[in-house]
Amino acid sequence: MSNDWIVEMKDIEKSFNRIPVLKKVTLQVKKGEIHALLGENGAGKSTLMNILGGVHLADKGFIMVDGEKVAITTPKESQQLGISFIHQELNVVGDLRIYENMFLGSELRNKLGILKVEEMCRQTKDILAKLGVRLDPKEYVRNLDTSYKQLIEIARALLHRSRIIIMDEPTTALAEHEVERLFSFMTKLRETGVSIIYISHKLKEIKAICDRYTVLRDGEWVATGSLKETELDQITNMMVGRSVSEERFVQEHSFGDTILEVKDLGCEGEFRDINFVVRRGEIVGFTGLAGDGRTELIETLFGYRRKSTGEIKVNGKQVKINHPKHALKAGLGLVPKDRKENAIIKDLNVIHNLTLSSMSHFEQAGFIQEKREKSRFSYYRDKLNIKLHDPTVTIDKLSGGNQQKVVIAKWLEVGPDVLIFDNPTQGIDVGAKREVYQHIIDLAAEGKAIIILSSEAPEIMKVCHYIHVMYQGEITASINGDKATEDLIMRYATGSKREGGKGGKYRNAATAKE
Amino acid sequence: MQPQQKNRQERSILKDKLSWLWSEYSVIIAFLIIFIAASFMSPRFLDINNQMNILMQVSIIGIIALGMTVVMLSGGIDLSVGSVLALVGVIAVIALNATGSIIAAVLTAFIVGSFAGLLNGLMVAKGRIASFIATLGMMAAARSIALYIANGGSISGEVSGFSAIANSEFLMIDYPIIIFIIMTVFVYLLMHKTRFGRYVYAIGSNEKAAMLSGIRVDRVKIGVYSLTGLLVSVAATIETSRLNSISSSSSGVSYELDAIAAVIIGGTRMTGGRGKIIGTFFGVLILGILNNMMNLMNVSPHLQGFVKGLIIIVAVVFQKRE
Repeated sequence: MSNDWIVEMKDIEKSFNRIPVLKKVTLQVKKGEIHALLGENGAGKSTLMNILGGVHLADKGFIMVDGEKVAITTPKESQQLGISFIHQELNVVGDLRIYENMFLGSELRNKLGILKVEEMCRQTKDILAKLGVRLDPKEYVRNLDTSYKQLIEIARALLHRSRIIIMDEPTTALAEHEVERLFSFMTKLRETGVSIIYISHKLKEIKAICDRYTVLRDGEWVATGSLKETELDQITNMMVGRSVSEERFVQEHSFGDTILEVKDLGCEGEFRDINFVVRRGEIVGFTGLAGDGRTELIETLFGYRRKSTGEIKVNGKQVKINHPKHALKAGLGLVPKDRKENAIIKDLNVIHNLTLSSMSHFEQAGFIQEKREKSRFSYYRDKLNIKLHDPTVTIDKLSGGNQQKVVIAKWLEVGPDVLIFDNPTQGIDVGAKREVYQHIIDLAAEGKAIIILSSEAPEIMKVCHYIHVMYQGEITASINGDKATEDLIMRYATGSKREGGKGGKYRNAATAKE
Repeated sequence: MQPQQKNRQERSILKDKLSWLWSEYSVIIAFLIIFIAASFMSPRFLDINNQMNILMQVSIIGIIALGMTVVMLSGGIDLSVGSVLALVGVIAVIALNATGSIIAAVLTAFIVGSFAGLLNGLMVAKGRIASFIATLGMMAAARSIALYIANGGSISGEVSGFSAIANSEFLMIDYPIIIFIIMTVFVYLLMHKTRFGRYVYAIGSNEKAAMLSGIRVDRVKIGVYSLTGLLVSVAATIETSRLNSISSSSSGVSYELDAIAAVIIGGTRMTGGRGKIIGTFFGVLILGILNNMMNLMNVSPHLQGFVKGLIIIVAVVFQKRE
């Protein structure tokens, strides 16, 4: 019986800072199967896989590979056991050729130490042929589609004779046809007897490609079973532990005047023909898949990029925005995505981060009044429930949720009419997520115009009055928040459905209905 | 169990405090150690004249290092300071001799210095040239122009009173020392009490986030390099006045290295965003004491560079531990 399992992780326990992340989790993977590892964010999937990959060490429990108990303490040991981890962020070097990437760190050399290029190319070709593709091994990786880059990683895993490949959300960065391509690679892999542990949120994909599943919730094992015999709804219920609430956070209320009006905005190669308005008190969402151009749109609106066509009106007046400073002056505020790269200044303390965009509020005769800064900080600390002991520590010491609240407070202090949130709940835990959304809704109720960008349709649906779906730089649909379904959004976001004519038409019809 | 845990907590708080103290004030602690060691090693060290001598010797590099600190906090570097110092000196002396006015000479110095800095700033901020490259170009160009104007030699001031700038005392303290201290206070206030300073730190730490916060990054950068140019011209005025002459070929040579060394010893991070003016002040003093000690102990001048290099590397190794 136990010989059936290529990998068996038994009773794994793991705590970080005395907070248990995994509690007696068991995972069994058969030879030559695609095994889905499911669970919400924070359920412990990554931690479990990091233990298998040798990044973390389990506190308790054991791992068996091929029926033999093994100790995996380093990523290298994991690799030697035939386990490969393909991360969400691809791990290929664009400026090297395909075969160079394949053999990176284990190059074939002759006795004189000179590379055996032809031999490496030949082996690369063989492995790629096994996966059913023909690529020139001397092609530069930077010229490849994302799915092919993933393929290079898979091929590298095969080169190292991996028997188990862990894939962490491999399809997030892929277009639809690329996903299909990836799935066909995976099927071929399965035929050769390789097992795949597949982590994803997209249940439909899982149903399409996986054989069995294991569900984790809050660090605990919930269920394992065959996908053929289980309905997707059941799995969803297991993941969230209750039936999914379709409840919308946001309340319907009447909107004020139009604050922001964007007309025919375009930016060469990024997006075009963008039209939308935002009114006082309204929460407008933008969603789509990777590469839909919504972040570029907002960066352009905010003056970080140059637009090539179109106009922007704020409070009825046309404004010229060539720098974020102009946007700020015009009454826009931006809470950007990728907080660490775009929003926080990690060497400045919390207070200084808060006041950075509104220094003039704190100056007297050219000197910064630190007392005034402190008192403003206390105000926002109470208002947004920012949890910290000492506001003079650098901001990177705070948790993601609290950092985000400081960034929000920074813009509240500036006092813009329009607040833009790009992926506002990125990298923050579930509790803080709700809180952040509650704050956003409160702001709208106070009369601010809000724009939210997110790739997660369910989130957008819960908080937005109005949703624009983007696909490859165009708005493909504009939907009222209460009429939107995840399915509908996905169809527009993948480009499989689009409205006739411009989004603007629908928009007017929907507004008229209200 | 409870009290034990509390005890442990207290100990970890104490440890945190100590490591905080070390990371914030390591350069001052290092300064004190070197100072005390020096006073044991040579009885002449503590002599008030010797102390003044040290301060006098570091004042020029010190003023340049202040500017270098600001540039490095913004995430850049300025290699042109030594050459610009020579160029400013040469042009200032010519202006002095032509007009006979000390004020005109000093103003000329300020204008030339700030202009060179402005050019650096424009190249870095608008031209998007790496500061290392831009200021390397300026370093070569400024030296070349200085050599050309002065025909490769030195030129001397012909107006009496000009040399008084660097060679007078106020309450027994030489003017250059006073100027150095005033400049330190000025740059300290600028960096820690004004919006400009806050922006410089922000840009050095995370330029994109600073820009998305509505900071005019390019203007701040131009300001940073211009300020450094201005400080260099202050240093150039002192240097020229001290001997009443300036050499187009040898004045200011390798000053950029001494200034960078002082900034690094003072705890400013090479990549920007972290560091203190007060750290640079003590970094400059540490370099001064070391030079002084080696002179007092008759260490060969050829070996002094070795010791300096060693100190820089040790300082960086210690800072890495944070």
